Amino acid sequence: MKTLQVFCIAFLVCITTITNAQTADEIITTYIENIGGQEAWSKINSMQVTGVGKQQGVDYPFVATFMKDGRTVIDVDLQGTSFIVEAFDGENSWSMNFQTQKAEAADSESSANYKNEAKDNIPDAFFNYKQKGYKVELLATEEWEGTECFKIKLTKKPVLVDGKEEENVDIYYFDTENYVPIAVESIVTSGAAKGATATILLSDYQEVDGLYIAFSQINKFNGQIGLEMTYKKIEFNTEIDESIFKMPKD
Amino acid sequence: MKKLFFSMLVCAGVLSTINAQDKPIELQKYFGDLTARHIGPALMSGRIIDMESHPTNARIVYAGTAGGGVWKSNDAGTTFNPIFDDYCQSIGAVEVDPNNPDNVIYVGTGETWTRNSVSIGDGLYKSNDGGTTWNKLGFEKSERIANIIVNPKNSNEVYVAILGALWSDSEERGVYKTTDGGQTWNKVLYVDQTTGCADLAMDPNDPNTLYASMWEFRRTGWSFNSGGDKSALYKSTDGGATWNKIHNGFPEGKLGRLAIAVAPSDSNILYTVIEAEEDTKKGLYRSDDAGANWKQLNNDFGITVRPFYFSRIVVDPRNPDVVVKGGLSGSISRDGGKTFRNLGNMHSDIHDIIFDINDSDRMYVGTDGGVYRSWNGGTTMEIVENLPLSQFYHISVDDAEPYNVYGGLQDNGSWYGPSSSGGGISARDWNSIGGGDGFRVLKHPTKNIIYSEMQGAENVWRFDAENKLVKTIQPLPQKGYAKLRFNWNAPMAVSAHQPDRFYMGSQFLHKSEDMGDTWKIISPDLTTNDPAKQQQEDSGGLSMDNSGAENHTTIFTIAESTLDENIIWVGTDDGNVQVTKDGGKTWTNTTPNIPGLPANTWCYHIEASVHGKGTAYAVFDGHTSGDMKAYAYKTTDYGQTWTNIITDDVEIFARNIQEDYVNPDLLFLGTEFGLYITIDGGKQWAKFTNNMPATAVHFIDLQKRTNDLVMGTHGRGVIIIDDISPLRQINKDAMAKKLHFFESKVAEMNDNSGSFGNGFGAETQFVGRNPSTAAQIKYLLPKRHTFGKMTLEIQDMDGNKIASLGPGKSKGINIVNWGYRMKQPKVAKGKTFSFGGFTAPRVPAGSYKAVIKKGRDTFEHTFKVAYDKSSGLSDADRKLKHNTTMKMYDMTQELAYMVYELDAIIEATTKKKTKEALNSLKETLVITTGDNYVGSAEPQLREKMADLYAKIAGSYDKPSNAELESLSIIEERFEKAKVDFAKLKKKAKATLELKSFEAFVNE
Repeated sequence: MKTLQVFCIAFLVCITTITNAQTADEIITTYIENIGGQEAWSKINSMQVTGVGKQQGVDYPFVATFMKDGRTVIDVDLQGTSFIVEAFDGENSWSMNFQTQKAEAADSESSANYKNEAKDNIPDAFFNYKQKGYKVELLATEEWEGTECFKIKLTKKPVLVDGKEEENVDIYYFDTENYVPIAVESIVTSGAAKGATATILLSDYQEVDGLYIAFSQINKFNGQIGLEMTYKKIEFNTEIDESIFKMPKD
Repeated sequence: MKKLFFSMLVCAGVLSTINAQDKPIELQKYFGDLTARHIGPALMSGRIIDMESHPTNARIVYAGTAGGGVWKSNDAGTTFNPIFDDYCQSIGAVEVDPNNPDNVIYVGTGETWTRNSVSIGDGLYKSNDGGTTWNKLGFEKSERIANIIVNPKNSNEVYVAILGALWSDSEERGVYKTTDGGQTWNKVLYVDQTTGCADLAMDPNDPNTLYASMWEFRRTGWSFNSGGDKSALYKSTDGGATWNKIHNGFPEGKLGRLAIAVAPSDSNILYTVIEAEEDTKKGLYRSDDAGANWKQLNNDFGITVRPFYFSRIVVDPRNPDVVVKGGLSGSISRDGGKTFRNLGNMHSDIHDIIFDINDSDRMYVGTDGGVYRSWNGGTTMEIVENLPLSQFYHISVDDAEPYNVYGGLQDNGSWYGPSSSGGGISARDWNSIGGGDGFRVLKHPTKNIIYSEMQGAENVWRFDAENKLVKTIQPLPQKGYAKLRFNWNAPMAVSAHQPDRFYMGSQFLHKSEDMGDTWKIISPDLTTNDPAKQQQEDSGGLSMDNSGAENHTTIFTIAESTLDENIIWVGTDDGNVQVTKDGGKTWTNTTPNIPGLPANTWCYHIEASVHGKGTAYAVFDGHTSGDMKAYAYKTTDYGQTWTNIITDDVEIFARNIQEDYVNPDLLFLGTEFGLYITIDGGKQWAKFTNNMPATAVHFIDLQKRTNDLVMGTHGRGVIIIDDISPLRQINKDAMAKKLHFFESKVAEMNDNSGSFGNGFGAETQFVGRNPSTAAQIKYLLPKRHTFGKMTLEIQDMDGNKIASLGPGKSKGINIVNWGYRMKQPKVAKGKTFSFGGFTAPRVPAGSYKAVIKKGRDTFEHTFKVAYDKSSGLSDADRKLKHNTTMKMYDMTQELAYMVYELDAIIEATTKKKTKEALNSLKETLVITTGDNYVGSAEPQLREKMADLYAKIAGSYDKPSNAELESLSIIEERFEKAKVDFAKLKKKAKATLELKSFEAFVNE
């Protein structure tokens, strides 16, 4: 009997929450609360993720370091050697050339686009989205692979493509039970695949120091898995060597 | 708040358990990772209806297609991407809002070039974000939308030209206007239920001035009529409030389809193409006073041909005297319409043309065979190579390895191509196997012979693929029988019992026992033989159009039972389902036994079941009489009784059904808006949408060996769902489990990797996706995994970890690929990368376990992996290969540990000479200078070892003698290095804290 009561209460709570959370902003607010809360995330100055990327059956261990101000380094271990696949020093984006293993600057347009979204890593684009000038819109409640979701359109700062500004939109699917995103669809904005849809699947949300993060991220393109990333460890506010973000001269 | 969060999780868990036990399975929620793949072909592409430019960005071009949705190019027509896959794929018009062109796009569905095989639309759509998301604005019954025009000064004011229903009366026709961006609409021009708006134009200088051509038209399954008293050209100068006919200079009598165009650079100049009663009065007319007066300029073939198919005029935006007209070849005039020459060589049947916004030399042309670009004003044309819009009428598969897909295409002949190919299935993989319009293509069951045909069985080809010998074998008139009536899409069939047997259907069933050399009629006329439906020479209306496309009262489908060769089913286009149980001696028309089926509804397909001699499925399509409902029935008693198996889940008419060969309740239904699946024999249907556009599925086949569902779509080519066997196993028992592993076949490690990709020159081509060759671990989750850790390991039967994989988390079917490989070896650290070291070895054949850990639960599934039998290696060869590979794998890791130790000693030792000696030794072990390209240093032991390892591990074959000799050299060198290192290690006497070998290689 007691079990039944608990169930009934829980059921009512569910319904109430779903009925009330009708606007995109309310859904985002609930989401931020559910993953730890605005205040707790505000105190995060750095986030270091240790994990493994898997592509075409090959494992690539990596350490990704994200700073609150947007600086980023993603360092992949290739045969014991450090290889920076993505970095941003606050102004400029850079990475290593595979042939020379030396750092090279990204083109200025890529850097400018990177800068616009650099603060979206801790924890993601929805955190302080209004301050960042982003807009959200609840498009519908619809199923994603059989799971009922809030379909939310996130419009970020326009992306520069060959010198022209273009709209920068991602479509997020928030599980209506848990108010966390389980999938993101974005239109590729530049390059040969421009116009095609890329999908990211998010799962394995786990708690670290009271904050929740998706430990599994699967990138799909045209229905096929491209890159799978699994986080092994996440550390917040650890000591970070500030020099790692600067592009090495040699 | 967090408490709430977790109570919600608990609640959700309870709810999902209840769902699993009490409710019927909602299959749509459980498709999960079961995903369609598209294999094209794109080399002949498919019909384009409407092209649209972006008004300020010359790189952006849209193509609205007959059956493949809307495609957008961001690179000036070099490549295109689909942007409308979730919606009706038959497109009539695409319009970009000139005031907000980056964001606002309108799509009117339903193609407007009203040939016999056109699909239908379901309304008007609008995107406010450049095509990322779409909203429907209504007009559900419009069936086909000809134009959409946004006022260039006011985005809220939009006009829509509704051509309307082709096969029935409809009041949803004419010109509609909104002044609030599409929220509400007024019908501003309407004639009657038979007359729609075929073309609409706006004066670019005055948005209140509009021109509308109204067209009286009707098609049936056996006739077409273009023209009547109500066809007319109208003008409004008050934003559509009032309209007047502008016929001064027009021919007398009835009119047919008219096109209208206003010259963008001089809006007094108008062009129209008129379909009239008198042939001499047909053709191009021009007005230089905004429609007040008209003068006929040209009535060449290219201008007057097939108005229902080609009534499109486009004027150069910079020169009012340059006029282009759609047509069989397309025509261009540079003297204001007086004379024309053909556009450059390209696929015939030109439906639309646009000029580049900045340069009139650059043109885009939409044809029956895709989009073409021109750089020189239409003289030379080049095809866009990545538009897989092929329109199949029919497909079939063979049992080759990999199996081939055969099929015939609208206006694009017949083809066959492989279901997989090195580097993906590309244009070069497809083989032409028939001309004209292609329809049914069948492989001889045992010989290398292919049957194909063209429209109306004018030619039926028997192609000896081995000797490249072609023979026409269509049934010819026989003494004592009436003139043969073949459908445009004439049926043929082969037999599972007699390989050389070949059937064809006219109004009679024809049977040959010698591959078409000798024919025997084995039935009476099986149709209604209604003479009223046999007047095709009178078809067309004002322009005679007797192409054979309207041939009626014919047999359309033939099915010989695979269980008994004497049982043959025949379905006719006028609604008969006939069956014989004695090989054609006697026939029974079972149609009267079909409940709820309107009389004379086209029997599109009969599937003779493998689950019982008396069991069959019949699919009926009434769309050519304006009935858009789906009809499919099942009989188990040779047609004495039929049961409806369609529910309200199916939104639109169907053409084909395919039963599963194992589970009789698993059925696949091809409809005009995509694929539906049932797992309970038709009590519920679920639409399959995983990478499956809402395109018309004309034919479905199930490949028996692979369990692949192969679909011939009429607009998106061949689409395959690989291995549908998990659908056989979805039931309430499986759903009740926390995780259910699906049974899987033995996974064969395919050695056939002999491909070198597509090389260069194919960068802008469509390439079809190959099926996975990996071992696939398939399981069902009743609920999506979102919270907590979930892992998947492959283990040997002793529980040793072989590989760690990313598990699928979807609700429903999950499919995880494992490439039969363990992890790559730990490689010694050098200055540059050892490419050989990225190779991971394959496991030996045998049994393996998939172990999933989800929360506190562990789930295990044992599966088998086998060697590829086709590569001809003996067990001893396999053993030698595996042992040699693993020996080198171990050596590679040993060397890695040695270099790790050596680096640590160099770091720790203070003895200069020892350090120098250690460094010298290291220089022989790994590369210590250079880069990964042309600055690379001389390879050292690591590189030689890893390269040989990769060579042996990567080969299908056992190690060659040369490789084994090379291995012995490397072994010797390694042994010497070990001795040298041991000596130096001793000398260094460094105190070190090193990881163990195990810890090092597994870190």
